[in-house]
Amino acid sequence: MRELSIENLARVEGHGGISVTLDGKKVKSVTLDIHEGPRLIEQLVKGMTPADDLNVIPRICAICTLSHRYAAIRGLEKALGIKPPEKTQLTRDLMMLGENVESNSLHTYLLALPDFLGYPSAIAMLNDHGDDVKRALRLKKFGNHVMAVTSGRIVHGENPILGGFGKYPSRKALEEIKMKSHELVPDAARAVEIFASLDYPKYSEAEMTFMSVNAPGKKYGFAGDSILISNGKEVDAEDYKKLTNERVVSHSFAKRSLYQDKTFTVGAAARLINMGKRLDGQAADLFKEHYSDAWRKNPLYNNLAQAIEMTWSLEQMPDACDRITALEDPPIEQPTRTTGSGTGAVEAPRGVLYHHYEVKNGLIDVADIITPTAQNLDDIEKHLKLTAERMLAEDKQDEEVRLGLEMVARSYDPCISCATHLVTLKRV
Amino acid sequence: MTRQSPKVGVYGFTGCAGDQLMILNCEDQLVDLFGATEIRSFLMAKSDNHEGELDVAFIEGSISTEHQLNKVKEIRERSKVVVAIGTCACHGGPQAMKLGEGGFEERYKKVYGNAKITVSKAIEAQPIDAYIKVDLYIPGCPIDKQEFLSAVSKVVAGRHPYLIKSPVCLECKWKENRCILYDGKFCGGPLTKAGCGAVCPSHNLPCVGCWGPTDDINVSSEYQLLKEKGYDPDEVLRKIRKFGGANVAKLLKDIEKKEEAKA
Repeated sequence: MRELSIENLARVEGHGGISVTLDGKKVKSVTLDIHEGPRLIEQLVKGMTPADDLNVIPRICAICTLSHRYAAIRGLEKALGIKPPEKTQLTRDLMMLGENVESNSLHTYLLALPDFLGYPSAIAMLNDHGDDVKRALRLKKFGNHVMAVTSGRIVHGENPILGGFGKYPSRKALEEIKMKSHELVPDAARAVEIFASLDYPKYSEAEMTFMSVNAPGKKYGFAGDSILISNGKEVDAEDYKKLTNERVVSHSFAKRSLYQDKTFTVGAAARLINMGKRLDGQAADLFKEHYSDAWRKNPLYNNLAQAIEMTWSLEQMPDACDRITALEDPPIEQPTRTTGSGTGAVEAPRGVLYHHYEVKNGLIDVADIITPTAQNLDDIEKHLKLTAERMLAEDKQDEEVRLGLEMVARSYDPCISCATHLVTLKRV
Repeated sequence: MTRQSPKVGVYGFTGCAGDQLMILNCEDQLVDLFGATEIRSFLMAKSDNHEGELDVAFIEGSISTEHQLNKVKEIRERSKVVVAIGTCACHGGPQAMKLGEGGFEERYKKVYGNAKITVSKAIEAQPIDAYIKVDLYIPGCPIDKQEFLSAVSKVVAGRHPYLIKSPVCLECKWKENRCILYDGKFCGGPLTKAGCGAVCPSHNLPCVGCWGPTDDINVSSEYQLLKEKGYDPDEVLRKIRKFGGANVAKLLKDIEKKEEAKA
């Protein structure tokens, strides 16, 4: 017996490692170990007001900060009977487009690409691929800018609140976003070109099931009240527990999910597989051109999906800005009740994120948060095991196997802080 | 190059990784930063990491497992200067809001039940200075780009940086915002360290206290003023503990004690 391990997985958010136990060429087990420390956030927000909860829960994760805030807002607004005005909804849509561009550009160009091109980091790519690294930084900076304009700050902006925004973006700021987003579309399309030209090793191929939100109005988008499954089923977001049966495993402070006893995948590839036909503009053409059956088997295609998606996000911004500008700032919608429950489902860049709340007399009684990485963990392990088995069967050297495994894990764009945010265990 | 580049490490413990992300968010200065220093270890950004002696270690996050506790001590031993970055490293962050109040075991059980987790033993989150000596604190949730860059440029040159001590109110005045307390809404500004540019009050929202407690000399009278205006001290503490945790509780307790001694 021997161990082939990757002690610390680099270029991901948070702390994790991969352990592979081998018996000769046989793979005994593969685990994605989560070293991130526990935080017990859901327990800590118990007894807080919804407004205080909104200050705390985005801190689960810096990269998905707005997704957490938005999921909580959706859950709490349902619980308290708040209907957001149109301008609020449109501004929230814009902020999600910003987060998508920021996160997808960071992951595709700066975290995933170095593996495919054989570098230890994006900084090491500067000499040979300086233009692409600069493209990535431009996109990321602009994504951050959109997040700052809408949410008040690059990371953990407090501006989006229940029933509205503290302050709406100015006409001038929106005008700038409109111009700049248009200019940056070619930088995103370049990422599609790069990721479409790469060789995707087939070692991790297996049958996969994909889940994403169903964005309203038959449009592509990052929030919805029901969940689409690639087997054709649709489930109300309020029934999220049927999709995510969580359990605890010994090698991780993050919990695990299965759907009908099988692993499933969330993320950009899942969104495009379930809603790709709803894309428009250049992104629709890129999707048509590059989508293939291989996407349904190989998690590495998530990188390509992220690149296509960020093109779409940029293309949506001019229209979003125009529509926001055309509307007057509405007053903040107030709660119509103090007791109730609700589940918010949004698409964080790395997949579906649920925030479920039960509020009693104006205070949080139950908070249940299920993150995309927690949902993906079992699926990642499944594909890691296959990759290890198939690479070892071909007598690949340990170093090559390690890289192969890292690429698979990284392709899910895991957010380990998120996965370790922690969830209440009671399942009735 | 005439002199050796300072050896730097960037490490993260329990938190949201937002402070490391803010370093990566310095898009315009990132290339220079990596050029002016020798970044020996930065797991979130690169794969080729080498652990050894460091001139400066930047540490994000609080300590919440025994494994992390050993690791943070080990980093201290091989680093000349340790800089705590972000509110979690400086004050413990949201996960340490109930520090000193007990109940950790119970909360832990509610989340994990009796399941055996072998990866490491969990402990209640604490700021890093609960275990090691810290030379410099740069709070923020997340840290501010400008404050971080200006501190880094001084620290790697072996100088002591200028760090803000005043409360958020000062920055709020500079922005010419209307004081939120006038509207009878509690705002954490008077008790919270500045550095964010009074971002929440500038959006018509109360300061949530995410930079942790201020060490401004006037904080005592600010607190008294809040009480005189009718804000309930328990409510103030509850709100502001979300980020400042035990340190903010200690600050307010010290103020109360001094007042009692005076009276």
